[in-house]
Amino acid sequence: MTKDAGEDAAPERELPGRLERRAPGQWELYRKTGESWELSASPGFARTAWRREEGWAARWWDRGGPRFAAASSAEALRAALEDGARYAVADEPPPEWPTRVVAAPPAPAIEPPPALFAELARAVAASSRGECTLVRLTLRRGTTRERIENGAGLDVALARAACDGVATAVGRRGGRAREVRVAFQAADPPPIDPLARRLCDAAVLPLEEPAAPPARGQWLLDPAVGAALLAGLAPVFTSERPPVWIARGSLASPEVSIADDASGDSPFDGEGVASRRVLLVDEGRLAAGLYDLRTARRTGRASTGHGVRPSFRSPPGARPRRLFFETSSPRPAAELLASVTRGLYASALTAPVRVDLAEDRFEVEFTGVSVIAGRARGPIPGARASGRISELLHRVRALSGDVQFFPMPFAAGAPTILVERANFD
Amino acid sequence: MHWDEAAVTRWLEPLAARPGELADVFGERLREVSLDWRDGQIHEVRVRREDGVGARWRYQAEERLAFVAGTGEASVREAVRALRSAAGREPLPIRAPRTSAADDEDASLEAERWTRRLTGVFGRHAPRHRFLWRSIETERRVVAAGVPAATSRRRLVSLEGRFTAASRHGDEERTIAFHAPDADATPDELRAALTAAAAPRDRPVDVEAGDTDVVLGGGCAVVLFHEILGHALEADASASPLSALKDARVAVAELDVTDDARRLDLFGGYERDDEGTAPRPVKLLHSGHLGARLTDRAHARPGGSTGHGRRAGPAEAPMPRCSNVVVPAGAATSDEIARRVNDGLWIEEFRGGSVELSNGTFRLRFPRARRLRRGRFTEEIGPGVLAGEILAALKNVEPVLGRESRTCRSLGWCARDGQLVPVQGAAPDVLIRHLAVRPAL
Repeated sequence: MTKDAGEDAAPERELPGRLERRAPGQWELYRKTGESWELSASPGFARTAWRREEGWAARWWDRGGPRFAAASSAEALRAALEDGARYAVADEPPPEWPTRVVAAPPAPAIEPPPALFAELARAVAASSRGECTLVRLTLRRGTTRERIENGAGLDVALARAACDGVATAVGRRGGRAREVRVAFQAADPPPIDPLARRLCDAAVLPLEEPAAPPARGQWLLDPAVGAALLAGLAPVFTSERPPVWIARGSLASPEVSIADDASGDSPFDGEGVASRRVLLVDEGRLAAGLYDLRTARRTGRASTGHGVRPSFRSPPGARPRRLFFETSSPRPAAELLASVTRGLYASALTAPVRVDLAEDRFEVEFTGVSVIAGRARGPIPGARASGRISELLHRVRALSGDVQFFPMPFAAGAPTILVERANFD
Repeated sequence: MHWDEAAVTRWLEPLAARPGELADVFGERLREVSLDWRDGQIHEVRVRREDGVGARWRYQAEERLAFVAGTGEASVREAVRALRSAAGREPLPIRAPRTSAADDEDASLEAERWTRRLTGVFGRHAPRHRFLWRSIETERRVVAAGVPAATSRRRLVSLEGRFTAASRHGDEERTIAFHAPDADATPDELRAALTAAAAPRDRPVDVEAGDTDVVLGGGCAVVLFHEILGHALEADASASPLSALKDARVAVAELDVTDDARRLDLFGGYERDDEGTAPRPVKLLHSGHLGARLTDRAHARPGGSTGHGRRAGPAEAPMPRCSNVVVPAGAATSDEIARRVNDGLWIEEFRGGSVELSNGTFRLRFPRARRLRRGRFTEEIGPGVLAGEILAALKNVEPVLGRESRTCRSLGWCARDGQLVPVQGAAPDVLIRHLAVRPAL
């Protein structure tokens, strides 16, 4: 492992040998170092945080099943290995460990993020005609360097930089108010106008006079709503046994394809397996799943490169990395709107999407506008669409080609989606 | 954490030279064991040992924070050096780290003792299960300019997951959440909680949407008051609908609600907050009148912080946060309260709650409830969502409270702005009229 200045070299040099003695060939060692700047601003207050983090993690198969230890230093990890060895664990065969060697360039230096609060606040006010106010903006810039070794000879390293943030705004009209939070992971610096529009849509539309939505009709989903729905469905692709309601592999209408492809973000996953594109739903049919090393071993398949570490504190697990809708016949979003005879356009969520995959149920609370004969007729401050997931997915009639990605917290991408029929209340 | 407190205080002095400047160093050593239990066997062991130091400076409208991994004196020095540099003060000179005495590593967390107990408890009460059991031990130390240094330790245990229970209509999958400080009585409490959760039940029918009277039993009124009073009276909650109502009468005179972090028998208790202040109980509601706000040092009134400056960890700045919401008992039996309900719900557990202070509304998600008709328990219903407005809900609390205050062990963690802190509370049965209810997943 690489050594930083001032760091005690002995414990980190000793760790691979210690793991090899404990679990010959059946271990993995992960190290992450990171540095970040975070600027959080609200009217009359600013907080700047600088963080230099270090994380170590080990996973090993010793006397039965998996054990995992995480620590903030190599020395603490050594002690954690002893703690983790104390328990009797049920048998589970170790995974087929990947093997390769990839070096990484040094992590780039970073600067504090720009102060964008005033600019975004102006854009929010202008976009909402003064009805929406930005109350907080947190922007974070960071670099990380990760390295993974294992008992089969893997030694890969990766350095990357990222910029993300959260904006909070409050819409007010008369005695009504609505607070919204929008998380974004974007270009550095983030584009101001699209962010301002998202905040305004989510905060101002719910302030409209209450209007009853139609009991049923067509449902046009904004990319942000479609991405949240897709994120709710993600466990379908990582579960070892798909839900029983997926009849003969048919998950959705033939217009719908779903893929996961993080190869542009990172050459390998959190277990050192090469990233690749996986077509999960091919024109409506469930075609593949996402596997990490453990689920691959249990199901007799190969890892698809989806062993994800949310942080060094947790072991890698099978999760999506960059999941998105696609279609072989995209149509312009304006054409989808024009094709709505009677229905609702969901522009933003007003509560988290709720999905019960075992029971085949979903519930989406949203704000938007009613649409009749292809034209927006009036705002709908709040509506709820609910029903069977299987029916919803089979009723997708068309998708546009303008896929947008949102942090869910993994990147989930969706275009504008037209659902032929949905029930509202 | 063997720091030379005098030296650390000296390093902080240039950052707290002006009146109103706050400067402190916060260190945390965390030891956690998580066991993934499936049907009586441990399927995965996870151990975590994490140390970190955060140095903070705050003055008027500006705050700066520096975080470094490790809790040795070298880490403290690096954090303070980064902070002094960021705050435009003379940087702390770089020195070779001194060798500090070895820290106590006796952090076995009693997890092995628990493992033996859990095998028996799970085998008897919930043999088919998938549980995550966690033991978390933290040692926190604060050295602040102008304030005595403080050290505090806590050991907490949590059990969350699903199990199969025998029901009157066959096997049924249920969830459980149990959070408690690790004490002698905790295993017995856990056993009782599992027994209650596994008790036979009827098949639930769907919730009908509409207005209803609700009895919050089993201590779960804590969740409501945590959301609508605890969060609304955190000192930095500027958009709170309670901001302009200081001392106003908002509920019946029989209702008192206190935030008491000193209750160490509850999950959210502590002896010192994360700024080193000893907490004091704060009356959020006093005989129906709105009480004081929960403050940290940055939002303190002339009397000083109430001891509610809390951090999710050393990488975060402290915020005023609620801890244990405690409602004193009244005099009514559960039957007496039920008899006051012509048509309503009796709820004993919430799976989550949220409040939106900008418009003064809240929603609480319950997994199941019992319907009350003419004061008698009838069918099981659920799951559903209870919603309302803060002031209306407070106004509609009936002046009759249960005579036993029960701890709400299913409430354990509260997230705000992505920061998670332990919370809990105890409350008697509380009857509230006219809350909105609707079915949910």
